[in-house]
Amino acid sequence: MNSLRRTDISAAMPLVAEAPAKIEVRGVRKRYDANGNVEALAGVDLKVRSGEFVCLVGPSGCGKSTVLRMIAGLHRPSEGEVLVHASGTRAVPTAMVFQSYNVFPWKTIQANVRFGLEMTGMSGAEADRRATAWLGKMGLADFANAYPPALSGGMLQRVAIARAMAVEPEILLMDEPFAALDAQHRRILQDELLTLWQEDRRSVVFVTHSLEEALLLGDRVVVMSARPGRIIAEFEVPFARPRAPEIRGEPMFAKLEQEIWNLLREQVGKHAA
Amino acid sequence: MEKTIAIRPGEAERDPRGYALRARRQEKVLAMATPVVFFILWEICARAGLLDSRFFPAPSAIFLSAVEMLRTGMLQQDVIASALRVLAGFAIGVTSGLGAALLLGLSRLTRAALEPFLTALYTVPKLALLPLLLLIFGLGELPSVLLVGMTVFFLVWIQCMEAVLAIPENYHEAARSFGAKGWNMFRHVTWPALLPQLFISMRIAIGTAVLVIVGVEFVQASQGIGYRIWHSWSLFQANRMYVGICTVALMGFLFSSLVRWLGRLMLPWTASSTKGSR
Ligand SMILES: Nc1ncnc2c1ncn2[C@@H]1O[C@H](COP(=O)(O)OP(=O)(O)O)[C@@H](O)[C@H]1O
Ligand SMILES: [Mg+2]
Repeated sequence: MNSLRRTDISAAMPLVAEAPAKIEVRGVRKRYDANGNVEALAGVDLKVRSGEFVCLVGPSGCGKSTVLRMIAGLHRPSEGEVLVHASGTRAVPTAMVFQSYNVFPWKTIQANVRFGLEMTGMSGAEADRRATAWLGKMGLADFANAYPPALSGGMLQRVAIARAMAVEPEILLMDEPFAALDAQHRRILQDELLTLWQEDRRSVVFVTHSLEEALLLGDRVVVMSARPGRIIAEFEVPFARPRAPEIRGEPMFAKLEQEIWNLLREQVGKHAA
Repeated sequence: MEKTIAIRPGEAERDPRGYALRARRQEKVLAMATPVVFFILWEICARAGLLDSRFFPAPSAIFLSAVEMLRTGMLQQDVIASALRVLAGFAIGVTSGLGAALLLGLSRLTRAALEPFLTALYTVPKLALLPLLLLIFGLGELPSVLLVGMTVFFLVWIQCMEAVLAIPENYHEAARSFGAKGWNMFRHVTWPALLPQLFISMRIAIGTAVLVIVGVEFVQASQGIGYRIWHSWSLFQANRMYVGICTVALMGFLFSSLVRWLGRLMLPWTASSTKGSR
C-alpha cells in the first residue's frame, strides 16, 4: 500500500469502520492479451467492509471494470488475490450491473429480469412476481413482454439494474450503471438506490464517472490512476446517513468534489500525454 | 426566398395497419405476377411459332402433361419418393451437423482434433462420393439419403460452429455473473444465440438437398423427380421434363418457405419477425 495517499477528512464518521471485511483485493495486477502487453492494473489493494458503499472513480481505461470483473469472479488476476467473504448459501454472492448492459436480446424484458432469480433456483411464480415488482420500480412495467431491440439505451440499463437488484445479492457490483440515463431518471434511481441500500445495507462497489454521484452515494470514494491502474487516494465521505439528495448543496460537498477533481485531472492529463 | 418545409404524417403514419396490409398485399401480388407474366409471354411466343415447340413446348401443353401425369399417379409417386429422400437426408444432416457444431464449438480440444479433418472433407464434392456409396451400400435408398445427409451436415456444421464461436463474450459474462454454467449456460445463452444461424443454415441446406437429390436420381433411381426429368429426356418427352423441372422448383420453394416460417415462429426477437411489413 506504499503508493497510497490517504486523505482523511477530520469530520469523517465512518459508520462501518469496524465491520468485517467483505471484499479484499490484495496486490492485484492484471495484464491482458497472451503476451501480457496490456497492463491494466499495476497493483491494486482495496478493502470493502460488510455493508459499505464504495465508489470507484478514475480515468477511462484505468481498469475499473477489470476490478469489478475480478470481484465477480469473471476474470482472474495475473498476480495477487481477491477474497470475497460470502455469508449466504448462494453459489454466487455477487450480482453485477454491466457497463454495456449485457441484456439478452432473445429474452423478453420480464425474462431478462427473471434470469438471475432462476439461477438462484427460485420457483417460476415467485421469480415472476419479483421480476414484475422490479420492472414496476424501474418504470418498465409496460415493456415486460417486449424484446430488448425495442428499448432505448437508458431503458436497457434499467433492465440490467432490475436484473441485478432482483436477486438481492450480498454484494452489488455496479459499473457506471446510470451513465446512459437521462438526468431525471438518474436522479430518481440514485435516490432509489440510496433508499434501498439504507434499508438493508449490502456491500456495494460502484464505478462512476460522476464525482457528484460518488459523493452522494458512497461511504468512501476510491480514486484510481491512469492505466495501468493503481489506487492513488481514498476519501471518506463525511455526510451522515440517511443522506438526502440535498447534501449536494453543502459547502463540504463542493470542497470534496473539487479536491478529488484536482487529483483526477492530473491523471486524465497523464493519460492524454 | 423564404421556404417552409413541412414534415407531416404520411400514409404509413395516418393508417399504419391499413398501410402494412396494403403493402403486404402489394408484395404478394408482385411475387405472383412475375411468374404469371413469364408464362403468359412464353405461351404467346409458343403459339406464335416464335419458339421451337420440340424444345420449348407451350405452358398449356406442359400443364396438360402434368394433369395426365397426376391422373396416372406418376407425378405423385415421383414427388413423394424425392421428398422422402430429401427429408430423411435433411433430418440426418441437420441433427448430426448441429451435434458436431456444438461439440466443436463448445470444446476447444475437440475443435483442435476435428476441425482440420472435417474442413478437408468439406471440400470433397459430395456427388463424387455417390459411386463409392453405391459400391458400399448397394442400390437401395440408403446411398441417396446418405449423400443428402452429408451435404446438409457440412452446411449446418460450419455455419452453426461459427455461430457458437461468435457469441459475444458479453452474454456469457452476464450469465456467469449470476452463476449460470453447464446446461443453464447452454439453455439461456448458447442455444438462443445460435438459433438464428441454425435457421439460415437450414434454409441454405434444404435448397442444396433438393439439388443433390435431383443429381442422384439422374443416375440412380427408378422413381423421383430427378429420374423423371432424366428419363423423359431419353424418351424425348420435353413436356414431362418441364413438368419435372417446375415440380422441383416448387418443392424447393415450399421446403424453403417452411423452414423460414418455422424460423419466424421460433425467433420472435429477430428483426425479420418483428418487421412485419418488410
Ligand atoms: N478482455 C480484455 N482484453 C484485452 N484488454 C482488455 C480487456 N478488458 C479490458 N482491457 C484493457 O484493460 C484496460 C482497462 O480496461 P477497463 O477495466 O475496462 O477500464 P475502465 O473500466 O476503467 O474504463 C483497458 O486498456 C482495456 O483496453
Ligand atoms: Mg469500464
